[in-house]
Amino acid sequence: MSGTSLKISLEKVSKLFGKVCAINTVDIEFAPGALTTLLGPSGCGKTTLLRLVSGLEPATSGRIWFGDEEVTHLSATRRDVGMVFQSYALFPHMTVAQNVGYGLKILNAAAADIAARVKEALEMVAMDGFQRRFPNELSGGQQQRVAVARAMVLRPKVLLFDEPLSNIDSKLRRSMREDIRRLQQASGITAIYVTHDQAEALAVSDEIIIMRQGAIEQKGPPQSLYHRPATAFVANFIGESNVVAAELGGQSGERWLAIGETYLDVSHRADLPVENGPVQLSLRPEFIEIVSKEAADESRRTALAGTIVQSAYMGAVYEYAIQTPVGRIFTRAPATGTRFQRHQPVDLRIQPDEVIVIPESVPDSPAA
Amino acid sequence: MMDTDWRAPGEIGPWVILSWVLIALGAYGGLPWVALEYGLGDFTPDEWLSALGWHHHRATFALPLTIALLTPLAWGRASGRLRGWLLTLSSGLILIGVLTFFLATRGAMGLGAGVVVLCLTALLAVGFSELGFQRGDCFIAGAVIFVVTLVVVFIFFPVWQIFRHVLMDKAGALAPFTFFRIITSFGVGRVIGNTLLLAVSVATATTICGLIFALYAVRATTRLRYLIRIFYILPIITPPFVVGMSLILLFGRAGMVNDALVFLFGPQGLFIPEGGAPLFERSGYIYGFTGIFLAQVLSLTPVSYMVISGMLASVNPAMEEASLTMRAGRWETLWHVTLPLLRPGIANAFLLNLISSAADFGNPLVLGGEYDVLSTEIYFSIAGAQLDFAKAAGLGLVLLTLSLTVFYIQKRWVGERSYVTVTGVETAGNVTPLPKGLQRSMTLFVGVWFLLVGVLYVSIFLGGFVKQWGADYTLTLAHHLELWSKGFSSGAWPSFIHSLLYALVAAPLTTLVGVLVAYILTRKQFLGRGIIDFGTVLIFAIPGTVTGVAYILAFNTPPIELTGTAAILIITMAIRAMPVGIRGGMSALSQISTSLEEASLLQRAGSRKTIRFVLLPLLKPTIISSMAYSFIRAMTTVSAVIFLATAGTDVATTYILSRVESGDTGVAVAYGSVLILTMLIFTLLVQLVTGRARTERQTRTH
Repeated sequence: MSGTSLKISLEKVSKLFGKVCAINTVDIEFAPGALTTLLGPSGCGKTTLLRLVSGLEPATSGRIWFGDEEVTHLSATRRDVGMVFQSYALFPHMTVAQNVGYGLKILNAAAADIAARVKEALEMVAMDGFQRRFPNELSGGQQQRVAVARAMVLRPKVLLFDEPLSNIDSKLRRSMREDIRRLQQASGITAIYVTHDQAEALAVSDEIIIMRQGAIEQKGPPQSLYHRPATAFVANFIGESNVVAAELGGQSGERWLAIGETYLDVSHRADLPVENGPVQLSLRPEFIEIVSKEAADESRRTALAGTIVQSAYMGAVYEYAIQTPVGRIFTRAPATGTRFQRHQPVDLRIQPDEVIVIPESVPDSPAA
Repeated sequence: MMDTDWRAPGEIGPWVILSWVLIALGAYGGLPWVALEYGLGDFTPDEWLSALGWHHHRATFALPLTIALLTPLAWGRASGRLRGWLLTLSSGLILIGVLTFFLATRGAMGLGAGVVVLCLTALLAVGFSELGFQRGDCFIAGAVIFVVTLVVVFIFFPVWQIFRHVLMDKAGALAPFTFFRIITSFGVGRVIGNTLLLAVSVATATTICGLIFALYAVRATTRLRYLIRIFYILPIITPPFVVGMSLILLFGRAGMVNDALVFLFGPQGLFIPEGGAPLFERSGYIYGFTGIFLAQVLSLTPVSYMVISGMLASVNPAMEEASLTMRAGRWETLWHVTLPLLRPGIANAFLLNLISSAADFGNPLVLGGEYDVLSTEIYFSIAGAQLDFAKAAGLGLVLLTLSLTVFYIQKRWVGERSYVTVTGVETAGNVTPLPKGLQRSMTLFVGVWFLLVGVLYVSIFLGGFVKQWGADYTLTLAHHLELWSKGFSSGAWPSFIHSLLYALVAAPLTTLVGVLVAYILTRKQFLGRGIIDFGTVLIFAIPGTVTGVAYILAFNTPPIELTGTAAILIITMAIRAMPVGIRGGMSALSQISTSLEEASLLQRAGSRKTIRFVLLPLLKPTIISSMAYSFIRAMTTVSAVIFLATAGTDVATTYILSRVESGDTGVAVAYGSVLILTMLIFTLLVQLVTGRARTERQTRTH
């Protein structure tokens, strides 16, 4: 739809609310045509960052670029962005057609033109035929589709999504996010998507930016964030993870990770830090297998011993919390197998290849 | 901030600057620069001509020249900032020049000068916005500057005049002891004591009555409660002193109650044996504390009813149900759960009526007798031949301080203590009915109340149709004929038409400004927001009599000489009614999500278009009801206008009061009843129209 996709860049952008620093000297580039997600806990500044890009909030310092054009001082009205709000923000006193055609009317388009463009936009979100309804006659999902159509009808340079699915029930959310993804890819408009839901972020994004306390924690494609989190914070935030303290030891050719009394053989892994010493590990539940307590004690244990403290039936899986010498470990097992009971001693087998090693000290701005 | 080019949202085209310049030049050329001797309603062409700026004073030639110099700026696309600075500085300088001219020549500003000042302010706003004020939003910058100017000229300046008259003597020298002298002078202590005693008693009584009414309306199971929901309209549409008048009809020296008591217990009464001493003598017991107290309780209870019932309705029934499940009976639940939950509402009602009682002017004037309170004392120190402005200002200052203090307590302390959590979650559960015995006694109380109110209003309407209340109950049309059939230039018509006319102008004006203030206060952050904030506090808290005094002090002399004109009455009415618009606008705006406005901004609509296409349609119901209510308030206000109305500009309320003072109760009551009837019809019409609009929308959308 749009001619060329634009790169959006922020240059040392900060935002202060009074004395509170919401965004702290952020440098980012949003790749042209890509959908980039801003992910983080509430209060991390992701929505503020989105609003700085939209122009609804002026930056305290720094510069913002849409392609080669600096927009730092352009007001929201002149920045040429489309935004989908968490609350949909459909005008309650206007019909669907009037809502979608609002911007066109403001730009003094001809009535016939408006109708045609509105129809086209509504077809895109499969809402054609609803033109004469009022927002309060639509379901939440339908309202959100109209909001998407309205954001896209003016073919903006940037599409912004502010937690667009958080008011929609979970079943519908899945199909809505696929629709948003499809529309964004078809249009080729650079998009920024704010969410606090990591599953949603993993599903829709080309790239994810994890934010924490007004700064960028890590940026990268979903897979790399999941498999190679740079910090314990990221490991915890993306997917589920057990972060435990460990020690890296041995020489090249024969290296090991010590988790308490348990030793994992990581000799063949090339991605480990060269230095030996204390490290943090992130253990994903899917790479931890629970087995019944082995009878014989080995001299060098390869499994982590523990006791089941919680066991919950979740339908497809059992979820367990296991108390181990290095802390409580969370994992699951298919519900097709036997269920371990509370207080039952078990062994945890950890796949050495899938253990994520996080360096103890984390550089301030991690490389993408 | 940055060295880049600034582009404002509604980018200021040449026509904006050009049109303001042209209007200013036109006003200078064709409208009276100095005030006309007899106002805009009455002038000869010669007077008009001599009042024109270029005719009046040579110094004014500087004005068109300097303003014309601004014209090139309309097209100048000088690097953004420069134009902003040029506009701001030059229009600011010219503005200062104009004001200095009037101060130096001690002339009174005319309409033309007013328009020129307005245009210059607008140009100043354009300049400010180009400098980045309000993020370069010219429309909002203009609105903010406009509101700040209004607040400064019509609130701060008059209030300052009160201070000035207290702090300085006539020569302008500092006289710090004037206030002390006034406060300690004979009788003032008693007046303040009277005011406080009355206010506290009235506030206590109205709070208890309001609580009873609220509990009854929300919780009782009888039919009578439906009547309550309409009873609060009556005081709104009734001019404040009419209740007092009707009390005189009922309880006055020649009132019905006295008649009946004399008939029964007086000399030669039915129950008094021949030659026995009478148990009752005709007396004026209603005049003084009793009368004012009764009148104020009757007219202020609906206020506390509304405050408390609003809170009661939002109490989550589940809390009371929880109490009931814990073996507490209805009495215990009411006492230990419901009432404590209502505490903020009760405190709020108490404080609001404390202010209202102290500020009330009409009832003490009509019923006061020997019992003098601050508001009447202020009036009497100016009215008639006294003209003791320092005393009026001093007493006004006391009343204002009292009112501001209470208002401040109400805002800070009560306003933020609400136990009622609005979560948006539908609350299920049934409300707990009242204990049986309580409901029965309340029914009695409410019944007696309605009976009294009913008799009062009937007596008002009948009072206009009898020859001489208390002496001769022959039915007659004489009073109404005297009022309405002597042509449009005498009797009641001039004042009635004035009232209608002024209120019709004031209502949209005050609503517009009120909603604008509400918008700025709820949506905008900027330097100097505190000025507007404090201005609104003053508007809310300032008693009418104080406004009256302050306006007389402020606008009786150049440069802004407005006394005697219709304009001052319209402005006063607008200021008196402004809380309506502000309150309505604030509550409506707080329910409109800001993301709607943001969505509109992102659809390329600037703030002007956003307000026009998004906010105004959504605010329409609020605007209509605010306008209606402002109109009613403007029609019924008396406290401030009584200081400012003159023979040529008297309004309905002041006319009625003057007839009361000259003893023509019949005529006054006749006029009062017509006024109430007009308001009632008007209210019903408005409710019909807005009600229909609402149902139409509902049928359309469901």
